[in-house]
Amino acid sequence: MATPSSEKPVRQAFTAELEQLRIQVELMGVRVDENLERTREVLRSGDADLALVTLQADDLIDAMNVSLTERCYDLLSRESPVAGDLRFVVSVLRVLSELERIGDLALRVVKLAPDWELLRAHPATFDLLLSMADTAVEQYRTALRAWSAQDLGLASELADQRPMEAFTERFSRDLLGIEGPDAVLAAVRTLVAGRSLDRIADHAAIIGARIRYLITGDPAHLTAEIR
Amino acid sequence: MSSSVPPLSTEAHPMTDRTDLDKAAPTPEPSATPAATADGATVFDVDDLSVYYGDFRAVRDVKLDIKEHEVTAFIGPSGCGKTTVLRCFNRMNDLIEIARVEGDLRYHGVDLYDPKVNPVEVRRRIGMVFQKPNPFPKSIYDNVAYGPRTAGIAKKGAALDEIVERSLRQAALWDEVKDRLKASGLGLSGGQQQRLCIARALATNPEVILMDEPCSALDPIATGRIEDLMEEIKAQYTIVIVTHNMQQAARVSDRCAFFTTEVNETSDTRTGLLVEFDATETMFSNPSDERTESYVTGRFG
Repeated sequence: MATPSSEKPVRQAFTAELEQLRIQVELMGVRVDENLERTREVLRSGDADLALVTLQADDLIDAMNVSLTERCYDLLSRESPVAGDLRFVVSVLRVLSELERIGDLALRVVKLAPDWELLRAHPATFDLLLSMADTAVEQYRTALRAWSAQDLGLASELADQRPMEAFTERFSRDLLGIEGPDAVLAAVRTLVAGRSLDRIADHAAIIGARIRYLITGDPAHLTAEIR
Repeated sequence: MSSSVPPLSTEAHPMTDRTDLDKAAPTPEPSATPAATADGATVFDVDDLSVYYGDFRAVRDVKLDIKEHEVTAFIGPSGCGKTTVLRCFNRMNDLIEIARVEGDLRYHGVDLYDPKVNPVEVRRRIGMVFQKPNPFPKSIYDNVAYGPRTAGIAKKGAALDEIVERSLRQAALWDEVKDRLKASGLGLSGGQQQRLCIARALATNPEVILMDEPCSALDPIATGRIEDLMEEIKAQYTIVIVTHNMQQAARVSDRCAFFTTEVNETSDTRTGLLVEFDATETMFSNPSDERTESYVTGRFG
């Protein structure tokens, strides 16, 4: 006895559209990844031209967010997805806004380029910022891999681990240790960069939680992602 | 509320003994303020049910329970046995000579297929609405009055008028027909005819209404009216609906049973079986069986 699984699946166009959507989100994710890489470079070198390129590239990310969001609304109204399909479309909407947010947070760091000399003048916090940028980029790449492979293991790892916490204490201490005539301004600028990088890692973790719920559909995972 | 439903009489009464209906315990009037509880009493308890047509097993392994004041939906591809199972609930399959039921089907604990159970009384308590509206070629009034008259609930006069009005009001048809009760039921639109058939089913004061794809011949507005009506009357009745419209099942039902078919190895025939039975919310958000997911997302079936 067997269910008639040998029959041809229906709604093939819809299935193809969902797959297209997944790839488009991945593509937007790659654009964000490129901008994160530029952000890290701007933080390292203070390159003002690269900062400008990053700002312009973010417009493309925003445009993709708008058009993909429209596509989701279109699929919701035309195809009335349910079960796994519904979780997928809603997850896309939620992941899109995380990607957009990560892009904006990267710009906050990039916009500090004019004050780069000031940041660099304080080696303890500056080195820490570079390490935090590495961790943020690494976290984000894990999120991107989890999305493209729809990998539950990677998604859970992201949702459960907080690698940025390793920096929190030292960052606060070193921030208060900044001295010199520009101490206040330097501390404020460094704080903006540090907080933005910390938030990027956070949003990567949220993407992990969204993917975990998308895959399992477990209500406990939905609760966990809304913290 | 369940405790007030009298047990189905199992005293010997051959099918032909119509006078028995007079002796049958009266179904109580639906109370004005229905006590719909979160976890209602079980109306039907089905266990290991199979239905055969001759040697052919049409559906097997059905295990589910129907709770009072709930809408339970049966979904699944054509030929999966959902209508066959529905027709067991008021012994409509008795009318098909070669049909045979195996397994356990209990109505308030009483074996519905006990030879001592009177199928006529069963059908008075468990009404049915069919796929195609099928009013009698009679007046609107007489369509609704037919059941109460034949069941001896009310023969004529104010008592009967009252039942007709109550039934038509419950079926959300009263305002549209109150000025032409003597007009033929066949003169109504399809959606009105279907509501007339619902009114006719409600007129004998049943406890359960079985609906076999009640909206498949109706336009979306008429469908919406029937769905509103189901929501309205489920506080007083228990509803089981077979539907091909999955959005409808998702909208109207509290719990949902998914049936599918499998090809029999030895012959080219197909047997239906129950795959999953759960809260509708679960069935349409995160079903536990892959076949359910494939079906509700429209990939198979």
